[in-house]
Amino acid sequence: MSFSISPRIACLLGLATSPLAAQDGGQLYTTHCSACHAIDGQGATAGTFPPLAGSPWVNSEAALAIQIVLHGLDGPVEVQGKTYNLAMPPQGAVLADPEIAAILSYTRSSWGNRSSVVSPADVAAARKASTGRTKPWTAPELLKLHPLVIEKSALTNLTSQAYFGEWSDLPDFTQLKAENIEEENSGLISVRHGLRNDHFGVVWLAEFNAPEDGEYLFRLDCDDFGRVIVNGTSLMEIREIGPMGRAKEGRITLTKGKHPIRIEYAEVAGDQGIALAWKGPGMERWKPLSDLTSGGGGNPWPNIPIIPPTGEAVVYRNFIEGTTPRAIGIGLPGGVSFAWSADHFAPELVWTGLFMDGGRHWTDRGVGNDPPAGERIIKLANAPALATAAEASERWPDRPTLAARFRGYRFESPEIPTFSIEAAGLKLLDRYQAGAPDTLDRTLRMTGRPSEPLLLLLARELPITATGDGRFSLGDRLAVEVRSPKPARLLGDGSLVLPLEAGTTAEIRYLWR
Amino acid sequence: MRALATFILTAGLSAANQADYYLREEIPLPPGEVMEIGSIALMPGKKLAVTTRRGDLWIATGAYDDDLSKVRWSKFAHGLHEPLGMFWKDDSLWLTQRPEVSRLHDRNGDGKADEFETISDGWGSRGDYHEYAFGSEPDRDGNVWVALCLTGSFTADADWRGWCVRVTSQGEMIPTCSGIRSPGGIGFNSEGDCFYTDNQGIWNGSSSLKWLKPGSFQGCPVGNKFHELAKLPAPPAVSDKSRILAERKKHPDFIPPAVIFPHARIGQSPTGIACDTSAGAFGPWRDQLYVAEQTHSQVQRVCLEKVNGIYQGAVFHFLDGFEAGLIPIRFDPKAGLLFAGGSNRGWGSRGSKPFTLERVRWTGRTPFEIKTMSARRDGFILEFTSPVDPTSAGDPASYSMDAWTYIHQADYGSPEVDQATLKVTAATVSPDQLKVHLTIDGLVQGHVHHLKAPGVRSSATAPLWHPEAFYTLNEIPR
Repeated sequence: MSFSISPRIACLLGLATSPLAAQDGGQLYTTHCSACHAIDGQGATAGTFPPLAGSPWVNSEAALAIQIVLHGLDGPVEVQGKTYNLAMPPQGAVLADPEIAAILSYTRSSWGNRSSVVSPADVAAARKASTGRTKPWTAPELLKLHPLVIEKSALTNLTSQAYFGEWSDLPDFTQLKAENIEEENSGLISVRHGLRNDHFGVVWLAEFNAPEDGEYLFRLDCDDFGRVIVNGTSLMEIREIGPMGRAKEGRITLTKGKHPIRIEYAEVAGDQGIALAWKGPGMERWKPLSDLTSGGGGNPWPNIPIIPPTGEAVVYRNFIEGTTPRAIGIGLPGGVSFAWSADHFAPELVWTGLFMDGGRHWTDRGVGNDPPAGERIIKLANAPALATAAEASERWPDRPTLAARFRGYRFESPEIPTFSIEAAGLKLLDRYQAGAPDTLDRTLRMTGRPSEPLLLLLARELPITATGDGRFSLGDRLAVEVRSPKPARLLGDGSLVLPLEAGTTAEIRYLWR
Repeated sequence: MRALATFILTAGLSAANQADYYLREEIPLPPGEVMEIGSIALMPGKKLAVTTRRGDLWIATGAYDDDLSKVRWSKFAHGLHEPLGMFWKDDSLWLTQRPEVSRLHDRNGDGKADEFETISDGWGSRGDYHEYAFGSEPDRDGNVWVALCLTGSFTADADWRGWCVRVTSQGEMIPTCSGIRSPGGIGFNSEGDCFYTDNQGIWNGSSSLKWLKPGSFQGCPVGNKFHELAKLPAPPAVSDKSRILAERKKHPDFIPPAVIFPHARIGQSPTGIACDTSAGAFGPWRDQLYVAEQTHSQVQRVCLEKVNGIYQGAVFHFLDGFEAGLIPIRFDPKAGLLFAGGSNRGWGSRGSKPFTLERVRWTGRTPFEIKTMSARRDGFILEFTSPVDPTSAGDPASYSMDAWTYIHQADYGSPEVDQATLKVTAATVSPDQLKVHLTIDGLVQGHVHHLKAPGVRSSATAPLWHPEAFYTLNEIPR
């Protein structure tokens, strides 16, 4: 017996793969997109990936979404009040125009989206418009070409009143005279209405159009002060100087219709920003009342402080801002920390207070360098710390020729890390311990038979001055004391160096002021 | 009649249930910890070590026991830099971390590492998150093979990005292969040859399993310049918008992917590699490779053969339904356990959990499957896991085959191109009914050959659990 497969069954088995066949957008979406954006368009793994449902990135001009699919999108992108820092791979070389059209038509018409169908001709036109592009887009690049279309604001008859002044709290604007009053037809509040960068305030007055009876939630985030008053009731106040990322929420029950809203804002100095959004009864997503829709200057990751356990040092090996990629962050009990560079064989950053925050590297893909979380951060040096005395006789070389090798680190007890380095026959053990408050004690033990005299760089490119008795000030916040058989000295370029001698030990103490 | 045929076919297909053959179990993780698993090592005494993407190293006892609720965890180390490779040797755990190969010792025996010895840190990093380093278990000479991802998966901004290096136990670093883009895992076959997975992207039309033949070029020229650092011969400057076959004819050092995993048809981002070195503790897949998959949360099965000195072979669908995107897998041949771990952070998957650690056991029941697929001058030999029904298996109409390849290009990925429809002209069943010789018109060297065998039945009338295979025909046997 021989049975042939009917065309219909062939289809069910997926044997028909002709690219000319009508494309099933839903099936293609499931295959190519759903792992990250989720079958329901809400973003996979509880929204750790951007949602497509209700997203203006999907529902604006079709060319915007097409460009993202064609070339990918790299880096921070804000979607409905949340910033994601991921990388969407480009699909333009993999998917044909009809497939992209089918996926986007499906996406723009699913999960509550009600945007126009995308045709293969639209995709072809977008391809032509971006011919020659080889890198993924960034969000700012794309927004210049295809701005987001945000749905109509719930604010009508919006006016802005700008005030100038230096305040240490939210002023009583009713006692002040506005410098300028404008109608704002966009229906969105913006720090640009303040007309200055520092020392200004804005009061916005408008009607808030409640679509139905029920409880309304408002969320305000601003740098620096702000508050929102609806129907004469203050919903929330931000009264401390500080950056975006300190959002407060407030609730009020409203009847369907128009309600007076008053938004007050004041900026002291530095960065500025205000973001206001609302949610009505049964609504899942925030709707913006401002041109910024989230924390703006705030970080898109949570705070995950890394704290040394009692009596132990904590290690954070990652990309630390201010030193090299092979950084080993050490937080000692007692609140002194340092970042030891395994590229440069030395501590390059020392600081006090909080150690590090894992939020940046432990969220999304972990892009970028993270600065120390503490204070009084001093950058000691920025070059390989071992050189021959001959090559560093006058000035410290940016790239010493001496071949040194990092051999790892160990803990003789859980609070005392020691780093191990080898260079030209010298073995160096570089040990750290928390000393008195605001001091870091370092011990260098040298063994072996170095083939030539070697120097260790302690600090450079700081205002370093010798203050006598082996003591040097490193700028105005840190001093270092060096006790060693061969004293530390300054080179002609101002670098502070220590001659290394096998069989000896050097004691180095860093003291913060 | 047509409706009835559909019904029977569907019912037959759905009758094969993974749990009939393989039991997938989640291993409970330490409560409150974020356990985004990046590597797994087998330790003596049925202990299991795992590292997390946050840089912790935990050791589990009880992960081999029947009752997984009694698994206990202890933290051996923290502060590691995203390790992606770990093994136990000489009383120590050896790690491949982003910046180095390290050896962790517990000198004072308190159950916690107190010495973190740097074995080699001979490669560069610009501080880009994508500069991953995937490290193997030791090879037969004790070397760790490390596959170094490109900067941002697009450029080579630090030394040796886009290369595979070997690190000896004395810490010497030996640049070994060029042409890497974005690896997801690395491991050995039963011969001791090293393979890695590379992901669809630039110079990779689709993801694949590649053979790291020492001295070879793997196809992506972005990191070629680093040959100057070690005065090695320059890797091939391959042409854009070409084909792998055309380029490797020009450049003999270009070793083609051993097995291409057609994008979206069988996974989208292959990761860890494990070889079944058991004599049947996990089913009849001796010497085959299991390859984990991040996006689809799966494990695929690969059989390899060497033709004209080049590895090639087939990939089959195998295990499905893991709870997050898989990264490492480890196979314990004595226990017949496959351990799998993963994470959804930064890259989504079909799994719904942010991270997972699981083990898979064979139930002892063998599915009716194509065990191996092997190229012949005139077609393929299929070997089955149990005797076939000679009528259906001997009917050419029970099979279909199409073939295609990809553009070898600097663009990201490639569509399937140069499609060919092949004709199965004969299906000859062996006397023991375990093999079928398919005679095929129109084999195309260099193409992925896509076999479907929905009509084949076992002698017990079962359809194939997975009636599909993708064979990469780098070489046609003479």
